[in-house]
Amino acid sequence: MTISAASGYLFGGVIIVLVLIMFACLLRAIRGPEIADRIVAVNMLGTLTIMIICILSLWQKESYLLDVALIYAMISFLAVVVLTRVYLGVHREHMRDQAHPACAEDGTQSGETDVPAADPLSAFSAQDSENASADGKGGVQ
Amino acid sequence: MEWVRFIIGSLCILCGLVIALIAAFGLFRFRYAMNRMHAAAMTDTLGILMVLLGLIVLRGFCFDSLKLGLIILFFWFASPVSSHLLAGMEVEISDRLKDNCEIEETERKGGRT
Repeated sequence: MTISAASGYLFGGVIIVLVLIMFACLLRAIRGPEIADRIVAVNMLGTLTIMIICILSLWQKESYLLDVALIYAMISFLAVVVLTRVYLGVHREHMRDQAHPACAEDGTQSGETDVPAADPLSAFSAQDSENASADGKGGVQ
Repeated sequence: MEWVRFIIGSLCILCGLVIALIAAFGLFRFRYAMNRMHAAAMTDTLGILMVLLGLIVLRGFCFDSLKLGLIILFFWFASPVSSHLLAGMEVEISDRLKDNCEIEETERKGGRT
């Protein structure tokens, strides 16, 4: 048995097991009761994908796949940051609308605790207006 | 000599694989999002270190091993930051937090995480 055949068996087996772990993470991302569970599972999915890309790069002897893995790592990190900030903005806007229902002009005060998806621009503008009111010692009411 | 290098590299890769399996097990075994975060962060640091270190050993010292080391370094910087952001979000939005964690009653000011 040559060393290339042995490394072929090794890489194939490792990739198969990693894909099974990825399916388990996907199941947790679907079933997760809170939004933090889903984001944790998606983050781990990104890590496992980067492992698979690096192993594939050595298996196929294509060194440009390592650049792909590096860019994928940066985008996976950026996805976690953006998801967290957007969801926090949406949640703060929802809490402010519940506290002051007169301020809500776009009809989001339906009284439910679940905020599915608002557009990110309104989330960021809500954050900005919250900062402005915090600077002005609550002058905007 | 080639076989010794292959065995060392494959042992490192299999160790990383076992760590990823333990993390996936912990993702289902734990009951709360912060415990699951602890399990998943193990893959982000030790798991990817072991797998990419095994790949560096298998590949030998060249320009590819520099790229693999850069991926490890980036993960070690990015994983604590994303865990911090996630924990801050969880503290702010969760209503089950007091049931699962012991929290000191301090005065919260600002609200920025």
